[in-house]
Amino acid sequence: MTLLSALIFLPTIFSGTLVVHLLWPEKNLLAFPLKFSLGIGLGLGISSILYFLVLQAMPGRVNMLTVQIILLILLLAITFLRGRNQKWEEIRLPALSYFQWILFGVFFLASIMAVLVFINTIISRPQGVLDAWSIWNRAARFIYRDPENWQATLSPDLALFRHADYPLLVPLNVAWGWETLGNETLRVPMLQSALFTFSVVMVMFSALAFTRTIGQASLASVVLIAFTGVVVEGTYLIADVPVMYFILTSGILMYLFTVRNESSLLILSGFMAGLAGWTKNEGLLFIAVSPIALIVASPKNLKRSFLPYLAGLAIPLLIIFYFKSLTPPNDLLNNNSTSLIERITDLSRYSIILKSFTSSFLNRSLIFLLFYTVIMHNDLSTVFRQGSYAIFALLVLQLLGYAAIYLITPNDLEWHLHTSQSRLFLQILPLALFLCFSISSDPESVFLNGFQKTSVDQF
Amino acid sequence: MLLAGLKKILVVVMLVISLSAIGQLWTSSLNISDRGTDALDRWEANMILVKEDLPINRGLVGYISEENVPGAEYEYWDSETEFLLTQYALAPLVLKKGPIAEWNVVVLSDKDLATWLAAFPCQYEITTIKGKVRIFRNLGNP
Repeated sequence: MTLLSALIFLPTIFSGTLVVHLLWPEKNLLAFPLKFSLGIGLGLGISSILYFLVLQAMPGRVNMLTVQIILLILLLAITFLRGRNQKWEEIRLPALSYFQWILFGVFFLASIMAVLVFINTIISRPQGVLDAWSIWNRAARFIYRDPENWQATLSPDLALFRHADYPLLVPLNVAWGWETLGNETLRVPMLQSALFTFSVVMVMFSALAFTRTIGQASLASVVLIAFTGVVVEGTYLIADVPVMYFILTSGILMYLFTVRNESSLLILSGFMAGLAGWTKNEGLLFIAVSPIALIVASPKNLKRSFLPYLAGLAIPLLIIFYFKSLTPPNDLLNNNSTSLIERITDLSRYSIILKSFTSSFLNRSLIFLLFYTVIMHNDLSTVFRQGSYAIFALLVLQLLGYAAIYLITPNDLEWHLHTSQSRLFLQILPLALFLCFSISSDPESVFLNGFQKTSVDQF
Repeated sequence: MLLAGLKKILVVVMLVISLSAIGQLWTSSLNISDRGTDALDRWEANMILVKEDLPINRGLVGYISEENVPGAEYEYWDSETEFLLTQYALAPLVLKKGPIAEWNVVVLSDKDLATWLAAFPCQYEITTIKGKVRIFRNLGNP
């Protein structure tokens, strides 16, 4: 069943990768792992949207695997037709030094251990944490068991904290996976979670290998596995790792746009931001703040940056608008305006939020990472600087957005902070890590005199 | 020169503490104690029996637990988790707390059930499924 569950996601992953390749036909060999790791999440996003559309038009009467195989064949045909006249001699393996092979080996070892930790942890609790079965897989069951009546999963009669309004990317993929396999095997949510978890690591590695060096990519990925908690969080089977993936990829694609000045990267960035909002409500906040980061990324030509970004964002955003028109209001909005004003003007709430945020920042790992970044800080060229500013803006704005949500929450503030703050910070931690390692000196430059960078010099 | 040396040390330290943290993750993943999976499976097995006995596949179903019994003592999170597990098992039926529908799931001991029935007079049918799990059909006012 595990193998079958993995097989059903293959067309999804390949379709996503081909979409990335068609939009961004970069032939540098180091771009291919990045395209693949972007394609995994993009494919899962597309499949959930397709299944959502199927539920609107012909619920229970369309085989999703067939739809995805047809889509894959179409994409393969387009890729073949477009690529047949192109020359591929530019592709060649980068020559790695012994030092780089050692660092890559360490990353490989760390990845193997991460996979084993993931397996050990997930088999000890195959249903995931309480939120996994009471929110995400509960919604998947509503859809899989009665697709014609799928809107029952949005019923306002469901318990308030079971969040009937939560977006459906994760449950929809589980539901069509069950439909394809014909039973409710837990292997499907487990595999989806594994795909997102290890894609986060792959995106980190491949993006830094493409823009910086193999050594820097290896070091950052090892730190990601060790300190962010992404691997264990992935075994919870909730939507925080998927939303982390989409925030990370959207931010990195925006960064790559500033470096490469290719508009297609912004189409992908917008689509990924849209998928963040289609995964979890925190993703909606990301959609709201990302235009400001886009201004930072490309202040001189807003039209050139906003048009492709909005083009990418449009489809998931339309789906989200339609979906939200069907759902009951979020528990955060379930309050009257008078008490909302009282909460906003209550200074003690600001103090509680600030204290709580500060206590999270003052942990040893983050302080060491900050110290590391300050000491290792590299003189960046203007294009890299612009991209770093954009990511910094995304992180600060997302944090301010989280603070604003806590400010207006009708729930007990301390309880709300206690139960959710670490997960919210985790959602943006990989992007923060990418920023730190994109502005730091790479190990090759530190240890090897006269080291010639293989990738960064191309820009 | 000093900064160059410090940078080298930092890279090595970063790598060593990262690998050490991954090693700790690995060892702690080898000895994970029971995290309630069996209890969840048992509850689900009981609720499959409830689902088979309920004559409806869609719509609202009530849920009666210690929360509805005057004076009953219970742990809030135990009761809440049972409610959430029941909802998970009975999907796509929508479960709502209280005797709000014709068909209701009851999770009460014999003593608490008697207390609740005394406080909620109506015509009813009760089918015992297993242990403290029952189906309560509200037939209207007496």
